[in-house]
Amino acid sequence: MTDNYEAVLLQFLLAGGFAGVTLLISVLLGQRARRNKLKDSAYECGMLPVGEGQSRFSVKFYLVAMLFVLFDIEVVFFYPWAVVFRDLMEDAETKMFFWSMLSFAGILFVAYLYALKKGALDWKPRH
Amino acid sequence: MEVTLNHFLFVSGLLFAIGLAGVLVRRNVIVIFMCLELMLSAANLSLVAFSRFNLTESGGPDYNAQVFLFFIITVAAAEVAVGLAIIVALYRAKQTTDVTQINSMKN
Amino acid sequence: MPAYYLEIIVVVLGLTVLMVETFVSLRDKRSLGWLAILGLLVVLVLNFTVVETGGEGGNTPFWSFYVMDIPAQWFKGLALLATIFVILMSVDFSRVLSKGICPEVEDDGVDDCAENQVALSEFFALPIFICAGMMWMASAHHLVSIFVALETVTIGFYVIVAFMRRNVGSLEAGVKYLILGALSTGFLVYGFAWLFGVTGEMELGAIADALNAPDVHRTGALFAFALILIALCFKIGAVPFQIWIPDVYQGAPMPVTAFLSVGSKAAGFVILLRLLEPFMASEMLNANVTSVLVIIAAATILFGNLAALPQTNFKRLLAYSSVSHAGFLLMAVASAPAHPGVVSPVAAVSYYLAAYLMMTMLAFLIMNLIRVQRGDENLEAYKGLAKSSPFLAFAMLVAMASLAGVPLTAGFVGKFWVFVLALQEKHYYLVAFGVIGAAAGFYYYLKIVKSMYWDSPADAGSSAAVPVVVAWPTRIAIVLLVVGVFYFGVNPGALLSLFL
Repeated sequence: MTDNYEAVLLQFLLAGGFAGVTLLISVLLGQRARRNKLKDSAYECGMLPVGEGQSRFSVKFYLVAMLFVLFDIEVVFFYPWAVVFRDLMEDAETKMFFWSMLSFAGILFVAYLYALKKGALDWKPRH
Repeated sequence: MEVTLNHFLFVSGLLFAIGLAGVLVRRNVIVIFMCLELMLSAANLSLVAFSRFNLTESGGPDYNAQVFLFFIITVAAAEVAVGLAIIVALYRAKQTTDVTQINSMKN
Repeated sequence: MPAYYLEIIVVVLGLTVLMVETFVSLRDKRSLGWLAILGLLVVLVLNFTVVETGGEGGNTPFWSFYVMDIPAQWFKGLALLATIFVILMSVDFSRVLSKGICPEVEDDGVDDCAENQVALSEFFALPIFICAGMMWMASAHHLVSIFVALETVTIGFYVIVAFMRRNVGSLEAGVKYLILGALSTGFLVYGFAWLFGVTGEMELGAIADALNAPDVHRTGALFAFALILIALCFKIGAVPFQIWIPDVYQGAPMPVTAFLSVGSKAAGFVILLRLLEPFMASEMLNANVTSVLVIIAAATILFGNLAALPQTNFKRLLAYSSVSHAGFLLMAVASAPAHPGVVSPVAAVSYYLAAYLMMTMLAFLIMNLIRVQRGDENLEAYKGLAKSSPFLAFAMLVAMASLAGVPLTAGFVGKFWVFVLALQEKHYYLVAFGVIGAAAGFYYYLKIVKSMYWDSPADAGSSAAVPVVVAWPTRIAIVLLVVGVFYFGVNPGALLSLFL
């Protein structure tokens, strides 16, 4: 089993080695660039850069992403539940099984109502 | 080569060590936070490995550990949601995410 | 009534508070605080009526997650009491809190945000959810349920520590708590993974059996123990993992600081007791575990007390004092019952935590009033308090005396039993450290008493001479706590009879 992977290992070593050697050469031979404001600007000729390097984006994206993560991850509990659902529902002793998941979904629903009412999913400007 | 429990544990230990080192040396809060997630992933990996290799009497993997894993993932998601919100609020107030700048409370 | 109904009621109460605020427009949102307090008081009464164990149905799968024994019932009571006091403080604190959430007040002086009490009800709802987590933690008997309960509490705390989102101090405290809390979670989970790997079990009883078996992997078990201990030392604030405590306590809003120092600590200790039990019971691991605990306890007592000496900020001082109390509690935990004696470590820790709750809450209730009405958290603000508000000064005197461990107070009895336990286990060095720590404690606690009774305020005639207004619910709470400190100090058997 190990034999098959020797080629791959060799490839990794070669790739890493090449990258490492090239970087080393450039450090050894290249002249250390002196940084100044002009050199750091986008072009040494042409227009001067205007505004910020990073564009600002609305915090609403972040809010929706966060809510998505939270609600999305809860699905993870539904899968195992669904897998054993039929087996457990046949047994009278484990009938609670259904209601416990319903209460879980209920709490999530309350959280959803809260987010909705607080305007977390509201995209129109409120003022 | 047979992949054994030790291999998994080694990788998970490595992940944990990388995460811990990151938490200790990095200065950006976001990167620190990612390293913390790495530590949780390390624990997840060992849990799955233990579950796969510590077979129960019936011969199947011990699903207790895998269910635990779901809970860890969920908790990590909740932690990230709250954590990022706090970091964003801090950034708005102080315009920095550098932990060495967070030191206004020294006597 | 089955015990787990309590947690369900508490969660539903929290959701109710949240929903009422969302869909009903209230004139004064502080009424939600009263609703929360009322609900929690009802649960506190119900806590005495629950069935102790699973009874006949005790062997359903559920009961491997959840136990209801006397310590569990006790810690549920402590969690409820702590939450009630915290919400009471939040009601007093609401004005400052709204200011901490709002953007800068505009020049016209109208503070819309504070008038509307923005986000105040979340500040009442979150402690209720945290309380549910703490109550569950008291009963958790399975690695998964311990983890989930602990994280419910921790994540709730992240939010309320950083709640004043325009206040840099609160945010910094939030970020620090977040990073160190998440770090400790990482350690805890990794430790749990190893504990599961070594024993192949998740239920604590089964883990105890597995650890007692002769073929258990010793190194693996000790590794798991070390990871779990590191995580829990973060939670309870034991040396060397106490670094976050002073900053977080100082930066967090006052009611949250109180909640952290009482609730979070009690919850950390109940988990510590539950998780250490299997390790302590194992013949092979007992000696190592005990020696590590003894060292940590000694270091914690010494550090907490000595670092508290030069503090001038009252919150920071109480932060270090909470570290030192964690040390005394660890002293009891380290004195495992090799042979059953007068009092078990569980009973001593339970009693100590109850005493700690009473005296710390008393101090924080008063600090909260001073903070809101005089805007100052430093010791300076307490100079001459005995002249302007003798009632508060006396209550603070009681709290400080009890924290220092003056006889006839609950704090003394707590410390006394801890020392008895340590002597019984022949941890003489630890006792020596404890005595040094307690002596240092006398100095910094009584320093406050001195400044209240014998110093005069720096600038006479200013706000310091104005009596502090105490609303009647807060007054009742203070009186009850003062009476409690004395009653359980004189008559400790009233509490301990539960455990004997």
